[in-house]
Amino acid sequence: MSPSLFFHLVLVEAKKLMSYRVDFWITMVVALVVNLVILWALWEAIFAESGKELIGGWDLNGILAYGVMVFLTGRIVRGGDLQMTVATDIYDGALSRYLLYPRHYPFIKYAQQVGNILPDLFQSLMMGLVAIPLLGISTTADVTPMSLLMAIPSILVAHLLFFLMSLTPQYIAFWADNVWSLSVMLRFVTMLLGGAMLPLTLFPESIQVGLHWLPFSYLFEFPTLVALGKIDLITWFEGICYCLLWSLLIGLLSIPVWRRGDLRYTGVGI
Amino acid sequence: MIKVQDLRKIFKVHRKKPGFAASVKSLIRRDWIDKVAVTGSTFEVNEGEIVGLIGANGAGKTTLVKMLSGIIHPTSGKAEVLGHVPWKREDAFRRQIALIMGQKAQLWWDLPGADCFELLREIYQIPPEQYRKTLDKLTEMLQIGEEMNIQLRRLSLGERMKMELIAALLHSPRVVYLDEPTIGLDITTQRAVRDFLLDYRQKNAPAMILTSHYMEDIERLCERIIIIREGEIVYDGSLDRVMREYAPYKQLRLNVHRDSANPLDAASLEMMGKVVECDPGSLCLRVDRDKVPEVAAELLRKYSVIDLSIEDPEIGDTIERIMAGKANEAL
Repeated sequence: MSPSLFFHLVLVEAKKLMSYRVDFWITMVVALVVNLVILWALWEAIFAESGKELIGGWDLNGILAYGVMVFLTGRIVRGGDLQMTVATDIYDGALSRYLLYPRHYPFIKYAQQVGNILPDLFQSLMMGLVAIPLLGISTTADVTPMSLLMAIPSILVAHLLFFLMSLTPQYIAFWADNVWSLSVMLRFVTMLLGGAMLPLTLFPESIQVGLHWLPFSYLFEFPTLVALGKIDLITWFEGICYCLLWSLLIGLLSIPVWRRGDLRYTGVGI
Repeated sequence: MIKVQDLRKIFKVHRKKPGFAASVKSLIRRDWIDKVAVTGSTFEVNEGEIVGLIGANGAGKTTLVKMLSGIIHPTSGKAEVLGHVPWKREDAFRRQIALIMGQKAQLWWDLPGADCFELLREIYQIPPEQYRKTLDKLTEMLQIGEEMNIQLRRLSLGERMKMELIAALLHSPRVVYLDEPTIGLDITTQRAVRDFLLDYRQKNAPAMILTSHYMEDIERLCERIIIIREGEIVYDGSLDRVMREYAPYKQLRLNVHRDSANPLDAASLEMMGKVVECDPGSLCLRVDRDKVPEVAAELLRKYSVIDLSIEDPEIGDTIERIMAGKANEAL
């Protein structure tokens, strides 16, 4: 796919989302307020109840910073929560028009997903400007310009990995028309095991070891830890490489699934 | 340009009896049946030809078009479009075809036409100059102006269909599939679309396959038709031939002076043809095509005629009979 087509698709998708102004602003304000209130109330209570200064290597301000940062980066990684579009395209026959274009369908979809993160990126930046100054000083997290700079490629590769991880399960729509439940399950699993709900250091040791060999942690926890200055340069580079390797493996896995599924596609109706 | 040989498509369809118990049962075990959509189709379409694909709902027209445009794979058989196997979806093939589906919007609803066309220019890699020229020509032919900058979902059905036509033809395809392009449009827009398609054909000579339930589309646009019944091609030939073969008669309508000494009498007229209607002042008689001059002369000679007209039967009625498998039944 040519870069100009890629950027064109990205811009078209972003324009499409931003054409709904009310939705755009409501999503941003409501999501931010609700998350900040839940985060603060929950961790304040947990720290007060436990009487500890540190939990899982985090102090209260540190874990609040993690919560805010994982929320902001997670929105970009998930790309506007549109992980059902492929299944919907198969289900309602909208896939047909993409099959007519002289371009690969997954590439078009990926460009659209990147387009989806532009409004999220803008919203996350604005929300960050409001939320980060509210955070207190932490001894366990240190956001610096360098850490934020390193977070950018981490978020981009995490976005690619998230896209590919949600692509293959959606191809199951070729066999089972409705894959909504599968998608919800996948979302829950990726959020939980990826560290979007709480840092993985709070998990039991054995689970942490298992998660180390799986791709989930690179989705949400890794870019967040990078942004919070908790990852050194070498670990960061290794993390980016692992993330790309997982993307490649999962991308390759999606090819035979697509080929088998494509044979069953009906384009809806006879 | 299009060669189809013994093309078949069988869908596996889940069958479920009505009722709650059947719904519960289907969660555990499902019954599947084979639904034959297209069975052994063989035909060819040449450059500049518009072929009408006619059939009742579910006859397999759209399935055939989907296979020829590469959207779905056939169960068996061969097809070649511009030297390519459609369902292999080679880029060189997809750059040269277009599919317009009257029942399904293919553009981006939330964007104005101008943005959609720009995106298509990128997708098809149309050189800017050629894009500008083609777009200007198409918008002029379809008389689309200010609508170009309005979100598609805010346009009327007719305006949206015009946008779909522009989108489909921007890359100057050599093969165009039109699946019910005038469905739901008002008469004026239908006419505009037909005129546009004829004009486009004259200037660009693409091969076109058109499916439509409107006989006017078929009569205006197609010299040749293919009739499909339950997935099987039952007729492939010119519109003229279908009339000669399946409606080998004409209707003579006659008005005579009621006070004439020689009134119309159904019994004596049966010798000339089949009496459809007869009263003392008027007559409708169905006569074999080759006997029309002779019968008309006889009627003029025998009766005090006020008015005589000779009509072809409605083409739609004839095709409907073929589609229903009643073509050979007595008329």
